[in-house]
Amino acid sequence: MGLSMTINGDHLTSTADPVTPLVDVLREDFHLTGAKPVCREGFCGACMVLIDGNPTPSCLIPAALAQGCDIRTVEGLAANGRLNPIQAALEACDAVQCGMCFPGMVVSLTHLLTTRPEATRDDIRAALTGNICRCTGYERIIEAALLALATP
Amino acid sequence: MSDASATMNFRRRDAADKLRGRTRYTIDRYLPGMLHAAVLRASVPSGRITRLDTSRAARMPGVRAIVTAADAPGMIGIGIADHPLFARDVIRYDGEPIAAIAADTLMQARAALAAIDVEIEPLPVVLTMADALAVDAPLVHPAWRNYEVLLAGGARGGNVAWEATVVRGDVDVAFARPDVEIIESCFRVGRQNHVAFEPRAVVASYEDGRFHIETSTQVPWTIRNATARLLGVPASQVRVTVPPVGGGFGLKFDLAIEPFAALLARASGRPVRLVNSREEEMLTCLFRENADIRIRSAVTRRGEIVGREAVVLMDCGAYGGEQIFLTTMTAHTLGGNYRLGAVRLVSRAIYTNTAPNGAFRACNGVYNTFALERHTDEIAARIGMDPLVFRRRNVLGDSDFGATGQVFEGDVLGPMLDRMDTMRDAAAIPPKRTDGRLYGRATAVGTWFVFVGPSAATVNMNADGTATLVTSGVEIGSGSMMQALPQIVAGTLGLAPDDVIVRAADTDAAGYDVGVGGGRTTVSLGAASLSAAQEVRTKLLKVASEMIEAAPGDLVMRAGRIEIAGAPGSGRTISEVATRAQAQFGPVSGTGAFTGSGVPAMPGCVAGHFIDAIDIPVFAVHDCEVAVDTETGHVEVLSYRVVQDVGRALNPRAIHGQIQGGVVQGLGYALHEEVTIGSNGRVRQNGFETYRVPLALDILPVEINLYEGAPSIGPLGTKGAGEVPILNVGAAIACAVANATGKRVQELPLTPPRVLALLLDREPALSLPHIADSWIDNLVRPHGTAE
Repeated sequence: MGLSMTINGDHLTSTADPVTPLVDVLREDFHLTGAKPVCREGFCGACMVLIDGNPTPSCLIPAALAQGCDIRTVEGLAANGRLNPIQAALEACDAVQCGMCFPGMVVSLTHLLTTRPEATRDDIRAALTGNICRCTGYERIIEAALLALATP
Repeated sequence: MSDASATMNFRRRDAADKLRGRTRYTIDRYLPGMLHAAVLRASVPSGRITRLDTSRAARMPGVRAIVTAADAPGMIGIGIADHPLFARDVIRYDGEPIAAIAADTLMQARAALAAIDVEIEPLPVVLTMADALAVDAPLVHPAWRNYEVLLAGGARGGNVAWEATVVRGDVDVAFARPDVEIIESCFRVGRQNHVAFEPRAVVASYEDGRFHIETSTQVPWTIRNATARLLGVPASQVRVTVPPVGGGFGLKFDLAIEPFAALLARASGRPVRLVNSREEEMLTCLFRENADIRIRSAVTRRGEIVGREAVVLMDCGAYGGEQIFLTTMTAHTLGGNYRLGAVRLVSRAIYTNTAPNGAFRACNGVYNTFALERHTDEIAARIGMDPLVFRRRNVLGDSDFGATGQVFEGDVLGPMLDRMDTMRDAAAIPPKRTDGRLYGRATAVGTWFVFVGPSAATVNMNADGTATLVTSGVEIGSGSMMQALPQIVAGTLGLAPDDVIVRAADTDAAGYDVGVGGGRTTVSLGAASLSAAQEVRTKLLKVASEMIEAAPGDLVMRAGRIEIAGAPGSGRTISEVATRAQAQFGPVSGTGAFTGSGVPAMPGCVAGHFIDAIDIPVFAVHDCEVAVDTETGHVEVLSYRVVQDVGRALNPRAIHGQIQGGVVQGLGYALHEEVTIGSNGRVRQNGFETYRVPLALDILPVEINLYEGAPSIGPLGTKGAGEVPILNVGAAIACAVANATGKRVQELPLTPPRVLALLLDREPALSLPHIADSWIDNLVRPHGTAE
């Protein structure tokens, strides 16, 4: 018995206590340390993952609620080893500094770009309110998102 | 020396892994057989430990080791050794460590903490600097006289942990002149939390009789030396290595939790992981200190500052820590910016029963610049002079004296102000405003400097044509280690920066270094790296000259080749030369060392200072425009411009990133970030819900102009660029809000309730009765007299 879920396309089972936050299951059971438990209050977004396609702070989700779900973490976003468009744009714009918030940023922005290709600068700013960055002052991140949106 | 330019917009090599979630920070590291640790912390601000019994906890499931004050005999500090690792008999702040436990799981470790039997008898509490300076105040350190003094010269007494003074000229005479106006201003600022995203974290092992500490730090050598001192072992028994660090901002410029993990590793014989919870980080983060400031100036009607006097009280919390050192900074942050006649300053670190404070980006400078610039506007208003005209006439220029008698070289601030005028004039004219808000603008200047201090570097030339740079530098996010340093080495050796491998910090592999902070990485580590690379270059050119049959002086190194100057494609590849050199003489390497020689102060001018004057001044001019909502008190920043003195910009794009980030962090400080302490001595803001940092919706793009060419002893003319961007932000915003509202801004942050209170005249004028009216009554010891 255990909690089964699909993570980045792999069917995986965890024996963790069902109340364990998903972020800890990802990190400790599956060694997927991309998602970062920074605030553990759902405010900072550094632990953001896609659960059935929806960006969700994994610190707020008990493992039991992820049972049977399709989970995609930052490790699963660079397909075939190639950075996805927002990752490539963030790299091209030299947006990364300490990098701790970026796994969550990448998850949120990947979702925005795939669901709202018409997003404006203000839409991007609004979409990032759940992802806090302490280093960059955000501007490069917004610039990168605009670049990714403009790239065919 | 260099044939290839070191200036470029070289992208970060660590970005792709960070974007994929592959980078393994300290919090991501797990070792086989590793234990998990937790720390028991006091929940009272002041008390005596009457009973501490760990025997019940030791029998709890999974517990492998417990350590307390008995295991850590030493004391650490800067200037004075006042800080034990664990509370030893006495609790001095809420959150102070009492014991640490390692267990098989974190849950077990935490459960065992609750089984430690501890009884604490309450003692009197001093929570504010006013309380601490009151007559007959309880002493936070009754035995302060017995502490080991690590640096002589600072006056101490009672709850005054350290006192540094500057006296140059006769201030009393200046203030008594008949032709001057006396302007007096008081200011107060609260604490700021760094909120580095990676909490302080460590994995420690005890291997072959030595400690190995992997930690998230800016200062590997400080961790090595301070851990050894606390544990009472030789420093050579401690090895520190540093993975990529998830943000520092000064938070990680001091010892934190490393010795707990080291002690537990030795006691258990297993690797031990210890990570601060976010709440522990929020409550005990070595905040930017709160401060109370009074400045008085004697200024002629024509705008000459003939005398200045200031008292700065810096709350160091329960232990002296970085504030002891930072008392030095007031001389340069309050005494900087402007030409002064006579000057006297006292900067005092005050003990309180609160969590200790520490270093934070442009420490001391951020609030003193706020105070100085607001005071400057009050001077200009009093004498009826335009504040920009006043600044332009008075900013430090070539051959002017600083507060400590240091002679400044070059006209820098003046031309920077001119450049800001040009930027402002070139901006689009703001649209006509009819929304009822109050509009204001301000320009603020700031003087900061680069911490220099010792650094070492080794460059190993590899036979495949790459070079490995070995230093104790740490990549904390600024890019200094991933961009600036490899660019310097690559420029010297004619390589691509990607062909310079940067070794992560390891105190067993690289020489001593003061640490990554204070804008010193590109300067000190850069200079050491440049020197090491130059030695490699000389050796390679000698071997190449025999291979190519040309004099070394006729050869150039560029694009991975050593060629005859002016004959592209001639000569050999660097790889071929390195291979030949290795076969003939052994592998090629070079070493470099650097430190600042120090700039003298005027004799007798300073007392209790850690440095007399500043090796590398750095200047900044900020300009902003704000709108203030009279209904809500909300301040919106409409435009923000920066002219920053960078010496020489090795990587302009990386510097722009630092300026944008630093300004936004400063906007948080100016507008909403404030740590407060409750009547129970506990920090009130314990998480992201209660401590609000800037969000993407709060920010605006900063317009940036890099000012190059000012004198610098930094390699290739560089200065540090990451520290300074936050320096003037509080000042610029405060002056702009004062201009918009016509009210006297004396405190930061300018939260909506505070601004509304100002607008409604409900904010009483700030009074600082614990600062005595007479300057000398604020001193433990008159300036310059012996202990």
